[in-house]
Amino acid sequence: MTEPALRTENLTKRFGGLTAVDSLSLSLPGGRLHAIIGPNGAGKTTFFNLVSGLLAADGGRVFFHGREITGLKPHEISRLGIKRTMQIKSVFPQLSVAENLWITREAAHRFLHPFRATSRDQDTPERVGQTLEQIGLTALAQRPAGTLSYGDVALLEIGMALISEPRLLLLDEPTCGMSPAETERAVAKIKQLARTIDVVIIEHDMSVVFEIADDITVMAQGGILASGNPKEISGNELVREAYLGRPEDEDYIDETVHA
Amino acid sequence: MITPTIISRSILIAFVAFLITVPWLIPALLNKFWVSVIAEIMIWSLFAASVNLLFGYVGLLSFGQALYFGFGMYGVAIGVATLGLSFWPAFGLGIVAAVAIALISGIFAVRLTWHYFAIITLVFSLIFYFFAVSMKPLTGGDDGINFSLPPTFSFGDAVGSFSSANFQYFFILATVSLCFFLMHRVTRSPLGKAFVAIRDNDVRAALIGLNVFQLRLIAFVMAGFLAGVSGALFAFFGRYASASYMFYQVSGEAVVWAIVGGAGTLFGPIVGTSLFIVIRELVSTHWEHHSLIVGVMAILVVILAPKGLVGLWNDRLARWGERGKDAAIRTSLRTDP
Repeated sequence: MTEPALRTENLTKRFGGLTAVDSLSLSLPGGRLHAIIGPNGAGKTTFFNLVSGLLAADGGRVFFHGREITGLKPHEISRLGIKRTMQIKSVFPQLSVAENLWITREAAHRFLHPFRATSRDQDTPERVGQTLEQIGLTALAQRPAGTLSYGDVALLEIGMALISEPRLLLLDEPTCGMSPAETERAVAKIKQLARTIDVVIIEHDMSVVFEIADDITVMAQGGILASGNPKEISGNELVREAYLGRPEDEDYIDETVHA
Repeated sequence: MITPTIISRSILIAFVAFLITVPWLIPALLNKFWVSVIAEIMIWSLFAASVNLLFGYVGLLSFGQALYFGFGMYGVAIGVATLGLSFWPAFGLGIVAAVAIALISGIFAVRLTWHYFAIITLVFSLIFYFFAVSMKPLTGGDDGINFSLPPTFSFGDAVGSFSSANFQYFFILATVSLCFFLMHRVTRSPLGKAFVAIRDNDVRAALIGLNVFQLRLIAFVMAGFLAGVSGALFAFFGRYASASYMFYQVSGEAVVWAIVGGAGTLFGPIVGTSLFIVIRELVSTHWEHHSLIVGVMAILVVILAPKGLVGLWNDRLARWGERGKDAAIRTSLRTDP
């Protein structure tokens, strides 16, 4: 059997008394688009932070294609090919859209030349141009990223993930804050991406999740509640409970049913 | 057609022409004293550039750059007075000393950011300030070390001496220009873009694969180099070194110069430093509270022009350029049939 793209063993993270991720053992085989869903506070983003190295785990291990990456620094993990977007959109606000893409690609090089003018580089600007077209931001290339609309920033983040040619892409609520048209474009982009690279996506918009995911993992209280294909998940009683509350919360169910 | 680029270029050319003709122009118009004031402004501009590299390009506000200035200064003074070195070895000793201490303190300092970084750089400079004051046999303490200039130094076949006012002026001009040119190259290079990326968003910078710690350390050592060169130049210029130049007030002045002039711009430190030193020279003979003017101006600039004077100018110029473009389009529309 080939090694899964991403595997965790008893991954644990505690914040004081709260166990955000609780001995999570997960195996995500390559070549499929995985969605992670779950109610707020389930530990989804914490899981991404552990994998990308922004947080140090209190216990457990993480493997990327069989190679242990537990405890590596964020830039080291990034250079192995794991790229991510952030739930709260995160770009370089004072750099232009094109420069954001430019530095993202350049950062993958180990040597940043201290004296050569950036304009002498041939290959990167070409890739920047292609990526701008792919995400539809060509017209805004020279605008500082800090002046973009929220949806455009989200697209730029996807572009930054694209241009870095990841092996594994972690998307944290990529369509959050997008208009319906932007969501449609982003979803199409993500589907296309998933054909060539492994994608793990955290998403709250269930219509998006059920449209694009091959596999779904449902998290609750730091652990795995259920996993399976979209059909199995939508029929799962435990999942319904986690999302809609227990039967005794009559009012809540009424509200959601009538909403 | 006049574009913003042409205006910027013309100002730069005029500025360079002015600097080259200073030794003849200024004595004719004012008096010789102002030539040495301009030389001093260049040295302090380089020192402010060191603050600017860290704050304006990497986002680290250092209140301890005087430490590296002081090491550059003492390297030269001890090299000449105690070790009997000639010009170039003493100059080299000053710079190497500054870079070495920047590397060592940087390893600790750049783990921190924001106010913690400001505090640790301040504390480092205070520690070494008190060392310098107390180690009188080596540093001369508050009295400092006076030394006589190494008689001559040669560069290839050319032989010169700082005892010639013109030679001293042009040596300072050449060294400071070279440093500013290097800084210009760095800010436009991939490394410089990586610095700005870290300034803007260090978490994202790490996630795209930039080694934030290492890059901050590189910037810190580069800033130490700039401060060291300015300190070494100042030692030759003043023929002495003193612990008082390592005091945090000196660091703080450079911060004000860089921010008022325009942090994150190449020429900001020159504009800020020139402005305040000229004010000081004009006012201090008549009024002892000249730093009041400095304070009021600093407050006004921070409130009214947060990007500093050069930032304000650049914005105005860019807006003017945009308007020019619009006007051109309108004109062409009107001429359309």
